[in-house]
Parts: sequence; C-alpha cells; structure tokens
Amino acid sequence: MNQHLQQAGITLLNALSRHADLIMQVYIAGVLDEAKHNPKTIEKLCHLGILWRPEADTQLRLKSAVRNLLEGSLHDERNRQLDANIASALASFKSLSVHYKEALHHGRYAESEAHLADLTEHVYALTESLANNVRVLFSRINNEFGYVSSIDAKIRENELAQSQVSDLLKQLEMLRFDELSEQAGSHRELRHLLVVTLQQCFAKVIQELSIVQARLLELIGRFRQFKGRTQLLKGFLLHMEHKPDFSPSNYAQLSQVPMLFNQAAALIKPAAVDVHRLEHEAELQQLVGAIKAFSRNQIRQQPERAAQKIKVEQQSDAQFAEDKLRQAVEAYFCQVIDSGERITALQYFQQQALDFDPEVWIYQVVGGYQGLSQEEQSYFALDTSGENHPQYSGNYIIRDVELGLR
Amino acid sequence: MITEQGRVLELLLSGCFVCQVSDEEAWRFLKTAGNGDKIESQLNVLNRTLASAADGEVFFAAYQSLYDNERKQLGSQFQDITSHLMPLVEWLILVQQANGSDVPVSQGTALRLNELQTIIEDTPAFAEQIEKISRNRLFGSTSTQLDGQLKQVFKRLTELGYLLRPNAEKQIYIATGKIEYLYDVLKFIDETEALSLTAQAEQAVQQGSLL
Repeated sequence: MNQHLQQAGITLLNALSRHADLIMQVYIAGVLDEAKHNPKTIEKLCHLGILWRPEADTQLRLKSAVRNLLEGSLHDERNRQLDANIASALASFKSLSVHYKEALHHGRYAESEAHLADLTEHVYALTESLANNVRVLFSRINNEFGYVSSIDAKIRENELAQSQVSDLLKQLEMLRFDELSEQAGSHRELRHLLVVTLQQCFAKVIQELSIVQARLLELIGRFRQFKGRTQLLKGFLLHMEHKPDFSPSNYAQLSQVPMLFNQAAALIKPAAVDVHRLEHEAELQQLVGAIKAFSRNQIRQQPERAAQKIKVEQQSDAQFAEDKLRQAVEAYFCQVIDSGERITALQYFQQQALDFDPEVWIYQVVGGYQGLSQEEQSYFALDTSGENHPQYSGNYIIRDVELGLR
Repeated sequence: MITEQGRVLELLLSGCFVCQVSDEEAWRFLKTAGNGDKIESQLNVLNRTLASAADGEVFFAAYQSLYDNERKQLGSQFQDITSHLMPLVEWLILVQQANGSDVPVSQGTALRLNELQTIIEDTPAFAEQIEKISRNRLFGSTSTQLDGQLKQVFKRLTELGYLLRPNAEKQIYIATGKIEYLYDVLKFIDETEALSLTAQAEQAVQQGSLL
C-alpha cells in the first residue's frame, strides 16, 4: 500500500516537472490553449488531476490544489483567497486527540503514535495556513493593491481585504484555549501541540492582523483622499466649463480674512557688506579679487584708453595772485642793492605808497629773503625790530624788518 | 553662525512655504512643540503670524492685523491666486491622466519630465492640452515645440514654488507642500461658494461625460 502510494506520488511529481512549461503557461494565462500541445500529454495531465475541465464546453484549467501550491510557493500577489477553516480544523483536533487518548488507554501504542503524527500534521497545517494568510494580506498592502490601476478598484480591493481580516478574526475567536487544554488533559505531547503551539501562533497572528487592519484603514483613507482630490479638480474644471465667468468673491475684503488667503509679503532683502568686519576680510578680498578680474575685461573695450598722440607745447607761465607782491619785494631788494643804504620794510612801504596789508608785506619780505639761495642771502643782512610778548616769554613780535647789504 | 530659529524666521519672512519637501529641517523645527511659539513672538514684532495649511503640512507667514496697506497686498495676491487656479488645475489633471495611475499629484510626488514628455507626445489630446496650458499668462510660453512648452511650464511651476528640482542635472521634479495649499484653496472656494464640485464630478461620471 505504502509502496504504491509512493510510486503514484513520484509519477505525479515527475509529470509536473516534465510539463513545467505547460503548467506555468496555464497558471499565468488561466486556461490552456489545447491546440498548441500534444493531446496525449493533456490527457495524461487530466488523468493525474493536474488539469481539469470545469464544464464540458470550457477550456482546461489548473486544479486549485496545484494553483494553490504555486501561489503559496511563488508568493504571488494575485492570490486573494483567504481561507482558514478553523471550525473544521478544531473538530478534527478534537476527534484525533480523543483517538489518541483512547489508544493510549488501551495500550495500543503504535496506533497512538500514528494518531499523534496525524494530529501534529493538522496543527502545523493550521498554523501555516494562518501565517500564509497574513503574509498574503501584507503583500497586498505593501504594494498598495498595485495589481489594479484605478482608485475605485483599489478602494474595492481594500474593502475586500478588510472583510477578510474581520472574517479571519471571527474565526480566530473560535480557538478556545480552555477547551483545548481540557482536551489535552495531562498528556505532555497533546498539551504542547494544542496549547503551546496554537497559542504562540494565535498571539502572533492576532498581533499582525491588528497591524494589517490599521494599515488597511490608513490606506483606504489615502485612497478616499485621492478620489476626493481628483473629483475636486475635475469638478472645478467642469464648473469652469459651465460658468466660464465664475470668480470667487474677494475674501481679502472680508473683515476676517481666512488664514489661507492671508499671506504676508516677503520682507527680507539681502544684507549689505560691512567692510569694517575683520572676520569677513578673507571673503571680501576674494570678492574684490573677482571684481578686478571682471573689470579688466571691460577696460580692454574702452577706445578712449587706447594709445594716442600727445602734442607737447610750451606751457604759458603760471600767473600767481601774489605776483605783484613778489615783484614789489624784488623791487625793494633791488633798491637796497642799488642805493647801498639800509632801509626798513615799512619805510619803503610808505615811500612807494604800496597798497598791500603792512603785515602781509612784512611776511612777504621775510619770505622773499628766506627764499633766496644761501649764496644770495649772504649778500644781505635782515634785522628784525620788535618786542617780546608782554605775557608769554619766548614769543617775539616783529614790528618791522630792516634790510641792508653786508 | 545663524541659528536654526533664525534660518526658519528668514525663510518665513522671505515669503517661503515651508514644507517637508522644500526644507525638511525647518519643517521639523516648526512641528516641534514650543518652537512655533518662539517664532510666533518674533514674527509678531513685524505684524506677522505663523500660519499653516493642509493639516500642518505647510507653514507660511501671515499678517497679524490688517490695515489698508496689508489689505491692498492681500487683494492683489488674491487676484493672482484665483487667476492661477484654472491653469494649475488643468495642469494637475493633465499630469494625473498622463501618469495613468489615477493618483493626483500631491506633496512628495516625483514627476519625471522625460517620461511625461514621451506620453504627452504620443497622445495628441495631451499635446493639445499642454499647448493650451502653456499659452496661459501664468506660464507665458511662446514656444511652438512641445518640448519648450513643457519645460517652460515646469520652470514656472518651480519658480512659483509648486515644484522642486533637487538635482539641476536631472529632469526630475518633486511636488512641494504648496500643491497641498492649492487643494486647500480649492476646497475652501468649493465650500464657501457652495459649488459642490465633488457632486458635479460624480454626476458627470454617471452621465458618461468624457472626463
């Protein structure tokens, strides 16, 4: 019997591997294009229970067991089916554990072992299917129902997922650990399977489902927002088409301007440079350096700075305002030379009836004497007459100067 | 060194919209409890106050009390906003349709100009639409080429602060929080003027209008 079962299984798996191409094509397309394949192969696959024909005039499809195997192993997001039939699983746990206990009671150990293995298989199948269901939900959430394009479809998908989550939660409620622990009684193996394993799985699934539920609600909120926005935009466009002259009343004139339309004007302009800040010296120097390079380019284009001919002409003698005064001083010096007599500056001033300020005249005479070269100075002798300042010592007030030849 | 507070203050006073996309640090600073009050007191000195839109996604500076000058400023601003609405809405719908994802442009949406251009070029209806949009005074394109029109539209939107171009070498734009502000404005007008835009759109879809 066992031998036979093994043989059949190997035949089935071999058939799967030999016709992997065909099976994957059917998996992706959904139905089999019978014209493209050998009728013998198809018949064999139907016989093995891999393909089946739902109704007489429909195309061949994959058996759901094979499809589930592929979806589960490939983590295919198209798998939207969630079924965890916990009620029937619990019923089978119950009967199997009773079988087990009965076998033990009668001392049929081999039989009890078989029952225990069977029960283990069932418990693990349940935990695996629960974990798988959660994973399927998560994968759908994580790509935000990417397998449908329109927002409306996404919202529908989200609603489907939410109902599946609440179904799953309702089914999980059926796990009553007090009953399970009663069933397990004092048998260590049973207790481990029915209480510990299931409880761990239960806690994990519940926790993940609550996360899934929160994410689903968040997503549906986002989808609704998207939909609302799209409708807002399109509604506005429609409205403008119907009433092209529509313009909202000026809310800025209201006594209470809504915050949305109260937007202050820009205030800040760039600050100016402070050349007295030593810490900016390096940056400012760089800036100035940049200016130099810039202005050199401009200079090259200035035609007035190109080389030009310069006319060199005799410059006319510069006329000084004090010319007359100087000439008078020179005349005074000449008279001293001509006459050979000593004469004070003020005397000469009165003789010639000059119309300068006497003080300016004396200054000019002194200046004229000092302005002579060392050699010429030695021909003249200049005497000053005056008095000390009555109050401040060291100050000598010159009243007149007398010029004579040495 | 300028403090974070000073930087945020400067941003607000220069009329920027601070959102998570345009300046995440400043946005986080304003989101942190207590910082808003500090900024507020400094803004108050200049007759400004901290305002936010789109459920705190966007911050900007508003006037604290309104006198004649402020009202004049707001009046001209309002004219701008309303005259910009139509081309912006048309652009948003165009981008949404061209993307084909049925998802409206919102803060953080990345727009790849090259991809968009390919789609618009291949679809005469979109090309016609972008030409119409780019002619609008808001965008002011004079180009006869689709390439130039599209680039001008994106350039203007970046100048106006609706889009951000993180890398100057790439034609990828990211929508900022100002887009959220735009939706808020639309919603506000919808509610205040009792336009029931959503109902209009739904009705049009039911009637099989070509939207």
